[in-house]
Amino acid sequence: MLTLFFDFVRRFARNRAALVGLFLVLVVVGVAIAAPWWFPRNPLRIVGRPEIWPFMSSRYPLGTDSLGRDIAAMIAHGARTTLLIGLCASLTATIIGITVGATAAYVGGWVDELLMRLTELFQTIPNLIFVLTIVSILGQKIEYVTIAVGVVTWTPIARMTRAEFMSLRDREFVQACRSMGMGSLRIMFGEILPNALPPVIVLSSLVIAGAVLFESAVAFLGLGDPNVTSWGQLIGDGRTLIRTSWYICAVPGLAIMLTVLALNLVGDGLNDALNPKLRDR
Amino acid sequence: MRRIIIRRLVQIIPLIFAVIVMNFVLIHLAPGSLFDVMTSEQQITDPKMLDQLRHTYGVDQPVSVQLAKYIWSVMRLDLGYSYRQNAPVFDVIMQQLPATLILMLAAVGIALLVGVTAGVLASIKVNTIWDNLISLGAVFFFAAPSFWLGIMMTVMFAVKLGWFPVGGMRTIGVDESAFGAVLDVMHHLVLPATALGLFYAATFARVMRASMLEVARLDFVRTARAKGLSGGRVVLAHVMRNAMLPIVTLLGLQLGTMLGGSVVIEAVFSWPGIGSLLFDSVMSRNFPMVLGVLVLGSLLVAVCNASVDLLYLRLDPRIKAR
Repeated sequence: MLTLFFDFVRRFARNRAALVGLFLVLVVVGVAIAAPWWFPRNPLRIVGRPEIWPFMSSRYPLGTDSLGRDIAAMIAHGARTTLLIGLCASLTATIIGITVGATAAYVGGWVDELLMRLTELFQTIPNLIFVLTIVSILGQKIEYVTIAVGVVTWTPIARMTRAEFMSLRDREFVQACRSMGMGSLRIMFGEILPNALPPVIVLSSLVIAGAVLFESAVAFLGLGDPNVTSWGQLIGDGRTLIRTSWYICAVPGLAIMLTVLALNLVGDGLNDALNPKLRDR
Repeated sequence: MRRIIIRRLVQIIPLIFAVIVMNFVLIHLAPGSLFDVMTSEQQITDPKMLDQLRHTYGVDQPVSVQLAKYIWSVMRLDLGYSYRQNAPVFDVIMQQLPATLILMLAAVGIALLVGVTAGVLASIKVNTIWDNLISLGAVFFFAAPSFWLGIMMTVMFAVKLGWFPVGGMRTIGVDESAFGAVLDVMHHLVLPATALGLFYAATFARVMRASMLEVARLDFVRTARAKGLSGGRVVLAHVMRNAMLPIVTLLGLQLGTMLGGSVVIEAVFSWPGIGSLLFDSVMSRNFPMVLGVLVLGSLLVAVCNASVDLLYLRLDPRIKAR
């Protein structure tokens, strides 16, 4: 087991871009964890003169926004929101996707047909429009945004899980389990799933990046939770001032881009490390 | 061939049916109704009038009857009435749809042009500085939120350089000939279409590069070279044509995301399309309009997907043989 893990680490580390990505992700996670100690007071509090440019004041290294709020504090606290929503939405999507995909492939027949039609349905609905609809109907709460993003991003995971289950379903080890009288649920989640997991993990890590982008778009449109700091919301607030103070939009946008970039790089690295067969492509 | 087309179109029907049912569920999930909004905005205050409206909308009937009625009315393209625009929802959406279609088509065009060119270049010059630069660019544009890209492009090209207008679709107050109007719209279109298209260009570039490299290894390419065809001809007519197939698949899969992406881009550039309409309707809790956009948007994506599948059939005759 341990050698397997070292093997995994070695293969992951061989991809230099993935290491850079991992470093960036760790930085963002570090900032998110440190935010309450670093900026202990409410980041949405007005602290100084509005529209101080970055690097002009030592107290506000990233400047202040149109209301005089500290951008650095909002970025640090926004990292918490972004990561939390990204992780939870990805987890939601993974759970839905694995359940649907595994059931469809294992049970087969009309259940498979029905679940695949359902997957198709969710692939057809324009995803951001669906998220906006849900948020506008249920209300602007961080939980609803998370669930909505999870609900629109599970389809690739379901398809991948189904394909993996299809290829594993009739292998000898599964037949052995069946002949031992193991229950379906235990075979599905205890025996087949661990073998099907690597490509699914890769997809889930990429879904985090997608979820971060979704959340930022929702918050940018002003439909996020108004009481929680978020990078997208900061861009949306700063948008009216692009003639004079475009840095208010630029800084959080860079934060989003670097985070998504890092998550994508880590996802690619995981792909190389977990699916060595596909590496040459 | 016609049978395949019909079969593919018939597949859309249950899909749309499911969207309608889901819509209905969403309406009933909503806390507060249209009537609450109307009373709170002081549009209607008379309780008698409210009862009258409840009856017209059939809210006083059982849920199953409401569902049947809703399905029936959507089938007849009756998506309800929008008090905000004082017009039927369907008419308002149809009025805004062309702008969104123009934006999406332009974005697809830019994405294909930039993405395919970059992918082909990267695959010809594989593992050189060009390849690395293109891959780097693709990684960046793949991660940048489109609305942020749009704002940054506005700052650069509209505010600082003044090359393009900041937003809108037409210059207000200028009465031009038809040709001038087209040029005017195209001028307004450059920034939003680029902001929306670059993300997909990044995806296409990555896929195109991989697919070109894969096809270039196949036997028929060696044959083409052995025949004495020039390098450029082999790449353009033999490798590229076959490497385009995954791009077509991807395009079909991403149309839904693209329609969603155009909502945000339209909000950034105040482009008068479905996105702006949706945004306005979400803000004013105009649910008939929001759900109408959802239904018609899904229908649009379903039809586009079917057309992409049929296009695929034309591009790759091997599929028909199966």
